[in-house]
Amino acid sequence: MAVTPPTDAELNTMIRARLASLGIDLDQLPAGTAADPETGSPGRDSVLASLRSFVRGSVTALASFQMPAPSGSDPAHAAALSQQPAPMLYPSISTEWRR
Amino acid sequence: MTTTNLPAEQTGQSVKAVNRRAFLLQTAAITAAAAAGAAAFPAAASASTWSGKTPKFGSDAYVKPRPEAIADPTELTVAEAAWMIKNGKLKPVVLVEAYLARITAYDSVYQAFNTVLGEEALAAAKAIAKKKPASPLHGIPLAIKDNYWTKGVRTTANSYLFQDFVPPYDATPVARLKAAGAIVLGKTQMGPLATTRATSPDGRITTVNAWTPGNVATDPGGSSTGTATSVASRMAASGTGTQTGGSITAPSNAQNLTGLKPTMGRVSLAGIIPLSYTRDHPGPLARDAKDAAIMLTAMAGEDSADPRTQGLPPLPDLIAAATPVFSKGKCRARRRTRIGVLPGYASTTTRQAFLAKLDGIDGFELVDVPFPDQWDLLTGNEFNNVRLPERSEPFMPYLRSDLRGFGVSVTGWLQGALLGANEFITGQRAKLLLLERVLDQVFEKCDVVVQTSPVPFDILGLPEIGFPIGFSAAGVPVGTILGGAPYEEDTLLSVVAAYQAVTDWHWKRPADPVVPAAAARALKTTADRGRLTADDVVDQMQ
Repeated sequence: MAVTPPTDAELNTMIRARLASLGIDLDQLPAGTAADPETGSPGRDSVLASLRSFVRGSVTALASFQMPAPSGSDPAHAAALSQQPAPMLYPSISTEWRR
Repeated sequence: MTTTNLPAEQTGQSVKAVNRRAFLLQTAAITAAAAAGAAAFPAAASASTWSGKTPKFGSDAYVKPRPEAIADPTELTVAEAAWMIKNGKLKPVVLVEAYLARITAYDSVYQAFNTVLGEEALAAAKAIAKKKPASPLHGIPLAIKDNYWTKGVRTTANSYLFQDFVPPYDATPVARLKAAGAIVLGKTQMGPLATTRATSPDGRITTVNAWTPGNVATDPGGSSTGTATSVASRMAASGTGTQTGGSITAPSNAQNLTGLKPTMGRVSLAGIIPLSYTRDHPGPLARDAKDAAIMLTAMAGEDSADPRTQGLPPLPDLIAAATPVFSKGKCRARRRTRIGVLPGYASTTTRQAFLAKLDGIDGFELVDVPFPDQWDLLTGNEFNNVRLPERSEPFMPYLRSDLRGFGVSVTGWLQGALLGANEFITGQRAKLLLLERVLDQVFEKCDVVVQTSPVPFDILGLPEIGFPIGFSAAGVPVGTILGGAPYEEDTLLSVVAAYQAVTDWHWKRPADPVVPAAAARALKTTADRGRLTADDVVDQMQ
């Protein structure tokens, strides 16, 4: 059964809770959508809208990405990533390590 | 120290209401550590371990100047100025004075620098004049992007968070350039924390494109904007930038320069304020391929303070690679090179003319190459955003105490804090998959490949070079980008050097702005050049 996507209000709660768990209080930013006149930092409602879009876009796209099955492997068993190449922080450098 | 001291309403750097407690605590810790000696620093953060050996530069690094350049020292390329200095025809002091004169005359319009080290540069020029030139950078005045630590000189990354930060040592690339004899003229304006085009931290536009100083709307390229404008307007001979999402190649393309983003690890990042530690690449913005080769030769090399620089192939002879080869008076390829052309690249007459010019050089072959599988997905915005936790993690103390201190750039840092570890690791797997497809499906068929965006090769850490190929109808430079295989900066330079031997785009310079004194004063104190909002920064974020 498909998971019901979260509403804006649910995402706002999740975002605030996640940030709070890291010790970040979004209320440091000005209320509403107007930017802070001193620093140009955006209002918290504008930031929340941008963060909701980020969660629905980037977080969802990355989380749902399925790596292709390695050549010669059974796709049914390759759905898990346990035998995929190890993730690399620095792909270009890794070319030298793998020579 | 002399500085330009831009007024507070332009730099935004003296806003007092921002909570800077975390910053002051860190500064105090660094000051105390400096007083106690270098051993008090974490090993990975210390630049004191660099050996200080100056690389070898061949005779090709010295180029007899064009006649028109001899009349104006600021028109000399680095290679030409090096020839003049080596042959006793130009004194470093004269060269520094010439650049300082242009800064005095024009930087109120361009606003390329946030700190000008006039007295220090002159003193350095006088001191170095007593030594025998040992490198083509001997006595060459450079502009340094303000996210490179400079010993004893304020290093802000154009941010409230670092507005009073004075590093205790030079970033390794700065130390290497200085060891080669280069002179630091000043620190350049940049996108706040390297996120976008140069603005004040609160988004007010500062630096303009040197080609359209009266039109702030013309994109000067970000985030190494100030360096690009300073070099394009002949206020510095060459300069440094950093690239995370196009910040060397984009301003180079926008301002008729040759900018070289090397392979990840070629240049140490020790002492550079990070944006994304897997993606930040230090490199030069220069006037042509030869100058870019000289700069990168000085900047590159293993550094025990940065493990990313270790265990890599040796740096090839970049200066030889950037020296065009002629046969019977005609330029030919230094080595046979297959130039890959991606679908849709030749969509403009400028690009078509560029490809035709390359095709006419003996030894170059144009080859159609496909986009690798899932190219749009793996290089698109969502997967590109996997870099964002690298932004938030090192800045957590500031995120907890000083959100407004990030100014217009804060949203990217908060986005990074929302990306979970699962997604982050998936993104790392996807990068490796993308690299293998680029190597298998593109570089099996060609040696270099034209780029339609700098981002894919930034994701992968592969080398890229941006260079001029024409002008728009409005008189604004048009550039393009070539990408290369890992550690093949020399191949990129050899192609661009040949192209620049048969074209003259890279020799064109913008006209000097007309600056009545009163207008200049007004620009410095009251002009509102427009501003970027936080939403603009998210859209343009690098």
